[in-house]
Amino acid sequence: MTAYTVSMEHIPPLLELWAKEYDVHVPVRDVDGFVNFSPWRPSAEIAWDYDVAYNSLKRFFLPPREDLLRFDLAASTAEPVMEAPLQLLFGVHPYDVKAINQLDQLMDQGTADVNYRKRREATVLVALTPEHVSDLAFWSSVGADSVDIGFDMYFTRISPSSFYVEVLSPKGEELLLARGELPRSTLPEREAAKRKKAAIRAKADKNGISFPWKQTPKLMSRHWDSPLWRNKARHCLSCGSCVMVCPTCYCFDVREEADLDLKGGRRFREWDGCMLPSFALVAGDHNFRPEARDRYRHRYFRKGKYIFDKIGELGCVGCGRCVNACTTGIANPMAVFNDLWEADNHES
Amino acid sequence: MSPKNNFSTYAPRPATLVKKEKLSDLVSLFEFEQDNGKALAHKPGQFIMLSIYGIGEAPFSVSSAPEAGNARFELAVRKTGTVTNALHDLKEGTKVGIRGPYGSYFPVQKFMGKDTLFVAGGLGYIPLRSLLRYQLKHRDEYGRIIVLLGTRNPKERIFVDRLAQLKERTDMEIHETVDVPDKNWKGNVGVITTLFPKVEINPQNTFVAMVGPPIMYRFCIGPCMDKGIPSKHIYVSLERRMKCGLGKCGHCQINGLSACVEGPVFKYDDIAPLSEAI
Ligand SMILES: Cc1cc2nc3c(=O)[nH]c(=O)nc-3n(C[C@H](O)[C@H](O)[C@H](O)COP(=O)(O)OP(=O)(O)OC[C@H]3O[C@@H](n4cnc5c(N)ncnc54)[C@H](O)[C@@H]3O)c2cc1C
Ligand code: SF4
Ligand code: SF4
Ligand code: FES
Repeated sequence: MTAYTVSMEHIPPLLELWAKEYDVHVPVRDVDGFVNFSPWRPSAEIAWDYDVAYNSLKRFFLPPREDLLRFDLAASTAEPVMEAPLQLLFGVHPYDVKAINQLDQLMDQGTADVNYRKRREATVLVALTPEHVSDLAFWSSVGADSVDIGFDMYFTRISPSSFYVEVLSPKGEELLLARGELPRSTLPEREAAKRKKAAIRAKADKNGISFPWKQTPKLMSRHWDSPLWRNKARHCLSCGSCVMVCPTCYCFDVREEADLDLKGGRRFREWDGCMLPSFALVAGDHNFRPEARDRYRHRYFRKGKYIFDKIGELGCVGCGRCVNACTTGIANPMAVFNDLWEADNHES
Repeated sequence: MSPKNNFSTYAPRPATLVKKEKLSDLVSLFEFEQDNGKALAHKPGQFIMLSIYGIGEAPFSVSSAPEAGNARFELAVRKTGTVTNALHDLKEGTKVGIRGPYGSYFPVQKFMGKDTLFVAGGLGYIPLRSLLRYQLKHRDEYGRIIVLLGTRNPKERIFVDRLAQLKERTDMEIHETVDVPDKNWKGNVGVITTLFPKVEINPQNTFVAMVGPPIMYRFCIGPCMDKGIPSKHIYVSLERRMKCGLGKCGHCQINGLSACVEGPVFKYDDIAPLSEAI
């Protein structure tokens, strides 16, 4: 991979240039101290040292609500809607890139989801090695501490005033060099970046699942009937927060509404979640997952087994957002996986 | 993978309602014609997503048999909510949108030369009718055809006249029952399992196609196996809530499988280990 060394003062003018063509989003700390990806402005102070962005990035590819069709009621005809603004996401941590890579695979599997694809293809992704690890994160234990695909550029801070920048795509290289040539990184700079990545991984290793993550699907298979599901789900409010904040959850509902003039209308999709009581409800009031326990278990099976069976990775990148989102403190996949693992070891 | 064109994954194509026929108080048969003049090219057991713009979209099994060059196809739909009510109110000539056909289907090739035992509970007869009509069209290619059909009560029976015609045929047999009779009902009374002792089959040579309400599978798979039919010869169709039909939205999941892609037709062996299946 080609790498360039970029100085800190080079970055604002680059962002300014990129913002002419792209909707550029950068991590920014708000007044309450939460970091979120927000539209870049010349005055924006980038939160270089953030540990986790409050909201995941799936909204840039799968918006909370997205129109799919515009229809004409009188003629009973419909036109597809496919919006895909050019966007550049700057400063995305590897676990979040990993989450997007998963969505890429899942949305492409079988029949490709063209609405998703178009947004994804209109996006430039700039990764960033984290400086800090959230107390709730466990990404290094679920194989999400590094990525080698899915981004266009990958920034690693190697000194207070400089970055080691790997470019993966021609687009990434073109954008990085948009203000002229940059020096290729030297061997010591590459080593510095490596050390930086290793150091942050060592920090992240302090919290994690206590067994090799590839064993999770087998672990799950042994525990369909575990008492854990009922014990934990007793506290579940079925609020769905854990799935809404999750960067890898992509379930949606499809609904529609007529315009006020009743001449036309739109069909749209909206984030939905398997933790919500009506998710598997059908006509005749038959619910295929009637109890909180059924839904709670389904979420972990999806994370720990079903997604793995499809793409060979856990459906959880260990960002810790759900842990933070759950008011009753039961949404932590790491805690659930570890409890199940321990239950096994006590039995044997 | 990059889509080569602008064809939206979720855009329906136009079809026209050409004929409507009442089958029971709540169920009607709807014949549609694709505006593009092409055959739907579905396989027995597959479903489509039907859109009534401004109302919504819902999955329905195709009830007619595939037929090359025929742009028409049939759905039989029970009134139960927003989309189905609106469909029943549509006038002939109205345009709708369709996507699909989607999902898995009954393996008509594998059934060739073998006997088929149909087990239909209530509206389960709708998708099975596609398979039955396909086999009757290619009658020589199939062995015996035996239909077990159970309905809650005589008033809810659908395709009544057509069933009477089928009962006249000598190249197939139909055994029908109702759970609760009325005073005019002269046939069998009792749940569908009471029909099993009435049929003689050659189990090794028989395939089963079973569709009915969720509860029916629990009671009907056992009797099939008791008769000696190998479990790998049993096919069932499972319906779930569906929004996309393409394995994306998550609604139809049965453990790790999507009922819209890996299903709705499953080989029993494939779903037997899944706790959420039946
Ligand atoms: C593969 C498949 C084949 C089907 N074939 C037939 C058929 O041939 N004939 C027939 O009458 N019915 C069939 N159904 C059931 C039919 O789809 C529902 O009755 C219909 O979705 C109800 O929609 P509604 O808007 O009228 O009801 P509402 O209760 O208003 O439904 C609201 C929404 O809930 C969802 N929903 C509710 N019930 C079901 C259900 N049973 N299955 C899936 N989604 C549901 C739909 O997405 C619907 O848009 C089939 C279902 C599936 C999954
Ligand atoms: S399950 Fe929780 S920790 Fe895992 S990716 Fe989703 S939000 Fe992050
Ligand atoms: S956030 Fe917690 S309470 Fe809410 S649905 Fe998820 S597990 Fe249940
Ligand atoms: S209907 Fe959406 S995944 Fe099956």
